[in-house]
Amino acid sequence: MDPQLREVTQLFERFKAAFLRSDFDTCTNLLSQLKVLLTKFPSLPPSFQRTPNAVEELTVARDIYEHAVVLSVKTEDQDAFERDFFQLKPYYTDTCGIIPPSPQEYPILGLNLLRLLVQNRIAEFHTELELLPSSALENPCIKHAVELEQSFMEGAYNRVLSARQTVPHETYVYFMDLLAKTVRDEIAGCSEKAYDYLTINDAKKMLMFSSEQELFQYITEEHPDWETKNGCVFFQKAKESQPSKEIPSLQLINQTLSYARELERIV
Amino acid sequence: MLRRKLRAPVVSSFLAVALPPGSDAHTRLSSYVPKEDEHEMDVDTATSAAQVPAKHPLPELEIYCYLLVLIFLIDQKKYNEAKACASASIARLKNINRRTVDVLASRLYFYYSYSYELTNSLAEIRGNLLALHRMATLRRDELGQETLLNLLLRNYLHYNLYDQAEKLRSKAPRFEAHSNQQFCRYLFYLGKIRTIQLEYTDAKESLLQAARKAPSTARGFLIQCNKWAVIVRLLLGEIPERTVFMQKGMKKALRPYFELTNAVRVGDLELFRTVADKFASTFSSDRTHNLIVRLRHNVIRTGLRNISISYSRISLPDVAKKLSLNSENPVADAESIVAKAIRDGAIDATIDHANGWMVSKETGDVYSTNEPQIAFNSRIAFCLNMHNEAVRALRFPPNSHKEKETAEKRRERQQQEQELAKHIAEEDDDDF
Repeated sequence: MDPQLREVTQLFERFKAAFLRSDFDTCTNLLSQLKVLLTKFPSLPPSFQRTPNAVEELTVARDIYEHAVVLSVKTEDQDAFERDFFQLKPYYTDTCGIIPPSPQEYPILGLNLLRLLVQNRIAEFHTELELLPSSALENPCIKHAVELEQSFMEGAYNRVLSARQTVPHETYVYFMDLLAKTVRDEIAGCSEKAYDYLTINDAKKMLMFSSEQELFQYITEEHPDWETKNGCVFFQKAKESQPSKEIPSLQLINQTLSYARELERIV
Repeated sequence: MLRRKLRAPVVSSFLAVALPPGSDAHTRLSSYVPKEDEHEMDVDTATSAAQVPAKHPLPELEIYCYLLVLIFLIDQKKYNEAKACASASIARLKNINRRTVDVLASRLYFYYSYSYELTNSLAEIRGNLLALHRMATLRRDELGQETLLNLLLRNYLHYNLYDQAEKLRSKAPRFEAHSNQQFCRYLFYLGKIRTIQLEYTDAKESLLQAARKAPSTARGFLIQCNKWAVIVRLLLGEIPERTVFMQKGMKKALRPYFELTNAVRVGDLELFRTVADKFASTFSSDRTHNLIVRLRHNVIRTGLRNISISYSRISLPDVAKKLSLNSENPVADAESIVAKAIRDGAIDATIDHANGWMVSKETGDVYSTNEPQIAFNSRIAFCLNMHNEAVRALRFPPNSHKEKETAEKRRERQQQEQELAKHIAEEDDDDF
């Protein structure tokens, strides 16, 4: 066995042991050492040289990056997640002919979709989705993320929340919790427009607070314009939707001037 | 058509005339053309004997021969030979640096990519195309750049690599289009990328422009444009007119999209599901399946709008039933869906949570708002823009209309034209 490969494998074993112990500091340290060592393998992306032990090297490298992604979720570091994921991605897309597909592929891709959803990067979400073959959409991990996005767009927020109970993988919980916060803000925004008032009990249930105290705190922090009296939450509606009494003169002048200029050019 | 008359004997006799026998190019190209009976061979030698003096053929002629053989091979469905021939021609092209070859080269690039697409191995030539694009840019071969950029975009989109395609597109140098066909393709690819990235308004504009500019003989291209444009308009919440689907020669191809539009227009989730299932194979071969999934949201919106117009007050369980939301908790779903629709301004209503009602507000007089003004403005802007585009696209043959124009007058006119062009360009900068 190649000495470099052996060194990496040994280090990786130590990493995995630390990972199982949930000793994340050691993991992070070992990981950066591993990444440096990986740069010495000629068969890895982007050069893809067909060396005799390309298969082992690629498999080990892919395994390392997969662990790195999971580690970044555990340490709740979204930037690291993004970095590690992009390093991992070429192994999924460009090594089809060389090494067999990883069993972790779809869980990790699903995790990434979820991350894009949490960060509200919907355009990238769909770009990633297009890369998946139609068979992948049946995979529970991918399907989970796709359905979440749909419910989110429709506004069926309670479906988003109940999806937390059916996560296909334990690492998904972190992002689901983040998503719950986003959902609460969305619900608050919608309620403000849709209701005249809500009883405090209903508001508490809708915004998923366990106590009135939390609700009041949320209102004072996020929506100081809401009013609480007589056991109800009143949403301020005064400022919206008067039919336009005012003529948007500046805009009109601009438009008319531009018409005049264009017409002048034609005639 | 001349192309149908392209047979082996014709090609080989042309090669014999155009290229000196025994030259490198001649032997290589002749090997791709099958030898037929003896009689034809006699003709070959006879003609070549007469034309021998052309010792150093023009590079243009050589490239043209490559192009001819390549087209011949593709027409004969000998795709592997075509690939080999195309690669050889590209290798030869790299060594020729003449502006007069550029036009022929751009045709060659196209067939080069086409032969690889036919054998489903587009990924292999991506690096090569990028190198060629760089070369074309360095040589200021704008037609080549245009063609190669389109081929690269096609290459990326073939593998659904929208991210890479957009990165390349946004960074590649842009200039005024030289070829209408290439510009149409570019607009189509741009429209596709924009659609995937949810920029529907821009996508619609590019796709419709592509469809409008495309020659009417390019039926396949027009069908593709229309399919995508229909979906984008549906996603935008517009309903395409019936005439779009009834265009000559497209009725059958657009049928699935017609039924889909109908389902969205009615706002019936059940019907939408049946249509999506019925034409699932069409949609996945058109690679629009993921977009269709996105449409579900629009179907619900339309259904909700219809309900809010028809009823002044309706209970939430009824809303759920009418929208045929089948989930575990349809009432709660309906409530939050309605709430979101209200916030997004799709319907004008309020929810009475205690009683579980949705109460629609009286629709106010539209003419008391700025709505008509905005609609009017967007139409005027469209017309003016169309006029400007048309003016800019006009091409005058030099000196045809003003033979007797003096030098001074001409200078004056050119200056005026330049100013106008500059003016239009500046206006555009202001707008964006």
